This record gives sequence, structure tokens and C-alpha cells, in this order.
Amino acid sequence: MDEELILRTNELNKTYWNGPEKTVALDDVNLKVRRGELLALYGPSGSGKTTLLFLLGGFDKPTSGRILLDGIEISNMDEQRLSTIRRNTVGFVFQNYNLVEELTVLENVRLTMMFDGKPGEEMKERTSELLDKVGLVGKERHRPSQLSAGEQQRVAIARALANRPMLVLMDEPTGNLDQDNSRAIMQLVASVMRADGVTFIIATHNLEIVQETPSRLFLKAGRVATDFISHS
Amino acid sequence: MVIDGLTSFSLLRFTAKGLARRRVRTFLTIVGLAALIFTYVTVQSLVSTLEVNLSGSVSSLGGEIDVWSKGASYPLISKIPESYAGIVKGVPGVSFATPVILALLTVDSAEALTAGVVPAQLHSLLNYSMVAGIMITSNQTGILAIGKALSATIGKGAGNSLQLNGAMYSVSGVYITNSWMDYSVIIPHVVAQQMIGMINGTSMIVATAQDSRNVNNVIGQIRTLMPMVEAFRSNETPSKVSPIFASLETIASDITAIVTLGAVLGIMNSNLNNLRERMRAFAIFKATGASYSQIIKLVLYESLLLGILGTIVGVGISYAALQFISIPIVQNVSVGIIIVPSTFLYAALLAFSVSFAASIYPALRIARVRPQEVFRFG
Repeated sequence: MDEELILRTNELNKTYWNGPEKTVALDDVNLKVRRGELLALYGPSGSGKTTLLFLLGGFDKPTSGRILLDGIEISNMDEQRLSTIRRNTVGFVFQNYNLVEELTVLENVRLTMMFDGKPGEEMKERTSELLDKVGLVGKERHRPSQLSAGEQQRVAIARALANRPMLVLMDEPTGNLDQDNSRAIMQLVASVMRADGVTFIIATHNLEIVQETPSRLFLKAGRVATDFISHS
Repeated sequence: MVIDGLTSFSLLRFTAKGLARRRVRTFLTIVGLAALIFTYVTVQSLVSTLEVNLSGSVSSLGGEIDVWSKGASYPLISKIPESYAGIVKGVPGVSFATPVILALLTVDSAEALTAGVVPAQLHSLLNYSMVAGIMITSNQTGILAIGKALSATIGKGAGNSLQLNGAMYSVSGVYITNSWMDYSVIIPHVVAQQMIGMINGTSMIVATAQDSRNVNNVIGQIRTLMPMVEAFRSNETPSKVSPIFASLETIASDITAIVTLGAVLGIMNSNLNNLRERMRAFAIFKATGASYSQIIKLVLYESLLLGILGTIVGVGISYAALQFISIPIVQNVSVGIIIVPSTFLYAALLAFSVSFAASIYPALRIARVRPQEVFRFG
């Protein structure tokens, strides 16, 4: 495998059954993503973007096909090993942030580190670093409901980056944000990419983001409609 | 200590915060566990107290061995020849044996236990002290000693006269034993024989072994020598006194089992509802890398904390409440609840077990949560 590739899928299929009714969510998706790349997944609702992200993030298993993450096949991993992947290798950012309302900003950011058993001092340092990076210093003790939508999404990004993952998957990260906040989020993504060399895959409806992203993949009805990844 | 990459301290802190944030549910679960402990401790303590006091009521007569007629479930209906006392005394290893008659008779307007004893052997038989007057010292008829509680009830003391089973008696003195005997009268054995028509007979024989380690051996000899009687240790009296008493312990166990089952189901239901409400939070935990076992541990730690809190509250309330509870044994005589430390230990173990058992199924269920489904379909 090309060492530059961090992610590769081979004929990835995902089918859901609702009784006798069959829904093909992904149909022979082949994908190659280079290390440190920003890839935009673009497509209408129901095109399979979120399904693909969930498969790449180790949340779900494909009906058939392979997913190689940093050279390791994750498509048939057991749940225990997948949880390690979700903890250490892949960060996930959701459209509606998915922050734990009962926890403060600080605790939300520390979640992945806590599950990884990181020492308290290390968690403390990393959390400060991340909150500084996403511009939330001073809001450590706030609850998610006390933050604006843009701030909540920045907490979610900080959480996704906590364990220094090599790949961050973002599902409509700007879907609930206004234009200014969307730009701020994308600037944050760009700065993290530059500083840490993290690879990002962003599923989005936002054409502006797609246009500004050098690598794009267009999904339609579960298939890669424009089968190209253009590199700048 | 690190469990599966999750330090137990952070787990403990995390779950403690979670409990603090859901105050109503935490409070109700703690109250449920405390109620379970209170029920268990109270029921068990009541049984223990009854057992000790009932044992004491017969065994307060003293001695280590009781001899009754075979098949009698209560000394009041036991009848054996008085001469058996001599036979028992002749058994090697027996230091003391005396006949005792027990009968429930009317004393003035009250009904009380009447003990017919051999006056010369009273000191060996009964641990008492005199509050007023003197104890009966001879087989003289028409004289009795009265227990302090009964004396207070009927308002008769040393030097007064009263009616025992319709006959006039003079009260020689008032004794206190701090047992059921305080609500009784003592008359000479021969007088009791005549009064209840038990000529040459007695209700029971109370005996003591020379060596307390040899009691079982002595009992065996008595049984061999007199197969028509029942000989047993005095502390086995409660189960002999009445089959109802023997089943009291079973009833107590049944009550505990029912309350425990109710607590397990109730707390499990509360846990399930609580976890269902927090499904999204657990889905986020899984999405951020929590493993199956870490999710289970989160839930179990929570129940462990609830178990500890419930135990502390329950034990505290039970201990305080038992100080104020007393059981009326007979008219105007109540005994305080005997607090047995091991009961509290078992209650704590029970609360932990209930809390743990009630969280296993919800924990296994919530650990199987699929984040992608929760995030997409709620």
C-alpha cells in the first residue's frame, strides 16, 4: 500500500434491510485518501455520506468490501478493537455536535482521553492546549447549552482532536452554523491540518466549502458519481 | 489503578458527578435501598429479640438443659412425673436438676405466668433480686412472690393480699429479673401441684451440667434413659416453644426475599429508565472511544456508589430507629430491640447485592448501544 495513503476503501457496500425492503446505502465505493489531505464528501441528502463516514470511523461494518485505515483493515474488526480505533486513530465531529449536556466544556473535551486512561496532568495540559486552539479559553466550566452553536462545534472539534488522531471525520460540521461561524470552523480545520498534519474528511452540503476544498468526492444514491479526487 | 484504560478514580469522580446531577433519581434510589436495609434490619432484629426474650423467658429459669414431655410444643402443656428430676440428677455429669411447673393463672384481674418452684433451689434456678420484701422460702401455702412488672400492674406489693386462681395469697416480696419473669408470680412447687391438679407431676425439669462442654453428652444420656421425654439445650427453647415461632424465622426470610425482589425490580426499572434517558450520552461515550466493558463499568460504578450511599443512610436510619422501638411482650412489659452487629453487615451486603443485581441487565443493554443509530434516529 502506498505509504502516503491513510485511508483506502475497496468496493465498499452497505445495504440495510427493513423486512423484505432493501436499501442500498453504499454501492461499490472506492476511495483513496492521502495523509494530511482535506477531502470534501458532497452529495444530496440520502446519498450515503453519513453512512460512509460511519463506516470509515469504525461505527458500523460494511455489508461487503474493505476499509484499510493506515494499512490496517478495520472492516472486520471486533467491537473492542474498533473502540480503540474510535478513541485513538479517528476523531468524529457531528452536525449537531453531540456534546454531553451533563458535562462541562472541559469534561467533554477530556472524554476520549479519559477513556484512554491518560494521566490527569496530561489531560489537563492537552485540554488547555486544545481550548486555546479552538478559542474557548475561559469557557471551560460552561455547559454546552451555555455556548453558541459555533462554540459548541469548536468544543466538538477539540474533543475529536484530543487523542491526536490521524484522521478526523466531520459530518456536516457547518450544517447548523451561519456563514461567519462556518468560515471560522473551516479556518480552524485548515490551521489544524497545517499544524498537526491531520487528515480531514468532511461531508457537507455547503458548496462554498466544496469549492474551496481541493479534493472532492461526489456521492449520489450510494455511488461515487464523479469518480475523481482532484489534487491541487 | 487503571481499568481498561480508564482510571478508577476518574470513573468514580465521573459517576459521582453524574449522580449529583440527577438528584431526584439518586435520592429515590438511595431511599429505596435504605428502606430495604431498614426492613431487613427491623425484621431480623425483631425476630432475634423475640428469640432471645422467649428463650430467656423459659431459660430465665436458669439451667442449660430443659426436659419436657415428648411432643409438647410449649412448657405450659408439658406434663412429666416429678420423680424424673431425681433420675436426671442421677445422670453422670449433671450438677443440678429441679422440677418447675408453669401455668397461666389469673392474678387478681390479670392473667400471668405462675411458676411453681422448689424454694430451696430458687437461687440456683433464677437470677433475681428483691425490690421489696423477701422471696418465698418454704412450701407454705398462701404465700407467693410477685414480679415487679406484675406488681405495678395490679397495684399490689410486699405485705398485700391478692387472689391467685381464686384463692387468697399474701405477697412475701417483689422480685426483679429483667426478663419475662417480671410479669409472673412464684409459688412453691407443691402448692402449684395441688392448685392445678398435677399431683406428683411437673411441667418440666431444668438441669445444669457440671461441665458446660459436656451438655450434649448429658442430653444424650437423658434421652437414652428416658425415651418418653424431650431433652434439649435451653437455648433451643424458642424452636421448641412453638412451631409458630420456628416458622417466624421463615416468615422473616420470606419478607426479606419479597422486599429484596421488589427492590431489585424497582431499582432495575429506575436504572433502565434512567439509562434510556441518557442513551444519547452513552452513545457519545461509545462514539468517543468508550469500550463495551468501560460502559458496563460506568453503570456498575454508579450502582456501587448508590449502594454505598444507600447503605450508609439505611444503616444510620435503622440504627437510630431501633433505639426507639420496643416489643410489648406481655401486658405492661416491653423489651427493647436487641441490635446484632452482624445484621447490619448482612444488610449492607444485601443492599450492595441488590444495587449490583439491579444494574447488570441495564448495563449490558446500554453497553450494546449503537451510536450511529442513536445519532440518526434518536
